[in-house]
Amino acid sequence: MTKRETILLKASIAFAILFAVAPTVNAMHIMEGYLPAGYCVAWGIICLPFLVAGFISLNKKINASRRNLTLIAMSGAFIFVISSLKIPSVTGSCSHMTGTGLGAILFGPAAVSVLGIIVLIFQALLLAHGGITTLGANTFSMAVMGPVMAFAVYKLCGKMNMNRKVSVFLAALSGDFFTYCVTSVQLALAYPSEVGGTAASAVKFLGVFAPTQIPLAVIEGILTVVIVIGLETYAVPELKNIGFLREKEVR
Amino acid sequence: MIVIDKLCYQSGLRYVNASEKFLYAVLTLAMCIISRSILTAAAVFSVNVFLTVTKGGTPFGRYLKLLLVPAAFLLMSTAVLVINISGTPLDAFAVPLGKCYLTGSVSSVKEGLTLCGKAFGAVSCLYFLSLTTVMTDILGVMKKLHVPGLVIELMMLIYRFIFLLMETASAITVSQNSRLGNKDYRTRIRSFGSMGSALLVRSIKRSSVLYNAMEARCYDGEIRVLSEERPAKWKEILCIAGYECILLGTVIWSWL
Repeated sequence: MTKRETILLKASIAFAILFAVAPTVNAMHIMEGYLPAGYCVAWGIICLPFLVAGFISLNKKINASRRNLTLIAMSGAFIFVISSLKIPSVTGSCSHMTGTGLGAILFGPAAVSVLGIIVLIFQALLLAHGGITTLGANTFSMAVMGPVMAFAVYKLCGKMNMNRKVSVFLAALSGDFFTYCVTSVQLALAYPSEVGGTAASAVKFLGVFAPTQIPLAVIEGILTVVIVIGLETYAVPELKNIGFLREKEVR
Repeated sequence: MIVIDKLCYQSGLRYVNASEKFLYAVLTLAMCIISRSILTAAAVFSVNVFLTVTKGGTPFGRYLKLLLVPAAFLLMSTAVLVINISGTPLDAFAVPLGKCYLTGSVSSVKEGLTLCGKAFGAVSCLYFLSLTTVMTDILGVMKKLHVPGLVIELMMLIYRFIFLLMETASAITVSQNSRLGNKDYRTRIRSFGSMGSALLVRSIKRSSVLYNAMEARCYDGEIRVLSEERPAKWKEILCIAGYECILLGTVIWSWL
């Protein structure tokens, strides 16, 4: 391990001890039946343009070479599997990554929007995370806004010539964090507080989920960095293949 | 490896026409969401438990455990709905906290309870679908609903790959554990990271091998699978129609 990795790991341990009391933590899926019918439809409609854009971009990639189809499908399965595995947490409680930040960095946000909704359908049907009626709202927060944010932060850090590991960490962290904020706002819009309305309700939702979601975002950031370090060490040709590394970036 | 997937292959209702089950689940779900009364939710919940557990033969303990999956989310969000922080106490309860009160009104407590009921009703619909209908059947239904071919194709491949990758991941984790890769938090983080990257590398390699194999078998852009069509029975359709009409009645009643 390099020195930087050691520091990273120590930081992660410190954080984990700080938040050692987190109960069962899933990535924040809104459960089935929790949103009123109007909101279910509205969020679904809001997602449509992003999904269409993603679909067109995937179609283009596959028309360019049919071989990309299995690659894209594997990426989708990878996002599902990485988000279904228990990640290390100090208390032994059960927590999961979202995996969409990593997906956005590796495959781009357009592809992740379509892969994300497929993964969310599988999560609802196979793991009972999320649901069919809340699919629109969950897609908007997890498959659209989170990845877009992660990708934007990653590109911005790249423009500012930041260290790649730092930018990957920030991207995954902010993607996760933004997903949690968007979900809280979605819940607040559907259920404004009696005292103070939507804004107060948003603050309450943010506050209640903060102790579980913020450490999760930090751990997700650290794990994403560790995964990317591993990939850069062993898988340069594959990374070039999926367009993550370009020729000039390889030392 | 995935409990729900295993259970739905063993379900007694597995061979009932898939479109019928899909339609039933979606319609009931819609009724449950639209309704304002907890009565609809209670009816939906009990009928779904009866169908899934008694008719389908899903073990009841397993079913209860699955119901607990969204419990953490439900508890926290409903607490947010019910509890307000305010300078003046509301009518249901008020816990003084310095200058402010942790307080809630009777109507919000009622709303919170109804929402919990509705959520469980809705979850039982989801579980009915996922515990009686196998994924390939659901994909068949989606094809009939004219979901784009590319999406269906991707879903079919992803569904297959999920199990391949999970097997690989669990094999890697077992070998990491046997080499003390799980001895403290630090190694756990490192092991998870290296497992993740190894998984991605293997899956990319595997996808290219798989494409070669598919092409060698004359793959031309469409995977054709033999789906056995099981005709819907009139009796079942009538039962579903009658049941949905009753539900619609309770929905209309709740809106009056």
